[in-house]
Amino acid sequence: MPVPWEALIPSALLVTMFGVTGTLANITFRAQNQWKPPRYHLERWDEMMIARDNRLTGHNRGQTSDPVIPSRAASS
Amino acid sequence: MSTTKEQQAVGPQPHVAELGTTSAPLKSAAFFIGAYCKEFNEDFMLCKAESRDPAHCLKEGRRVTRCATDLITKMRENCLEQFESHWACLEQNNHQYYRCRTVERPLNTCMFEKLGLVKTIPGTPEGRKQIHEIENPVLKRQQK
Repeated sequence: MPVPWEALIPSALLVTMFGVTGTLANITFRAQNQWKPPRYHLERWDEMMIARDNRLTGHNRGQTSDPVIPSRAASS
Repeated sequence: MSTTKEQQAVGPQPHVAELGTTSAPLKSAAFFIGAYCKEFNEDFMLCKAESRDPAHCLKEGRRVTRCATDLITKMRENCLEQFESHWACLEQNNHQYYRCRTVERPLNTCMFEKLGLVKTIPGTPEGRKQIHEIENPVLKRQQK
């Protein structure tokens, strides 16, 4: 259709699709990390601490500041 | 539960409950643990330097655990709100200290007033201000 803005229609489609892709990717990453941004640049120390968090709370990103250890995790 | 050969070798040990705090609160409290438990931590590291055998440093390890548990309990009693907000900020920011300075300052002042503990970074060059005390650092987070 010969209107001045006809090229903007597929451009808008591309922008929208990139946006949807990015949003869905962000949602999948956050969903695996208890709705927090995922951890990155992890060293062996960080991996060991994350495994310890898993033993203490049941999830890699679970956190608690309670110094009392739950009985199911009693041997760290 | 049957004892292993190593457990039989060292004999019965006093039971000290392991610290149940996870990584973000520990990272938030790290420098205060360093200030509060300095002697016990240094004893443990010197003991480990003698021998890496786990059975060699059980006593020093128990002392470290008890001291850290004691400090976390005190922190929660006195500065719970600032502590919780600081480690929640760290959880959102890949556990990087430089991204959570605005939340760290109230925690440092609370810890100093209530418990007299100061965060100092060992190895800072002489005459240089501590990195967490610089008002406008060059390397900072993207957003304000």
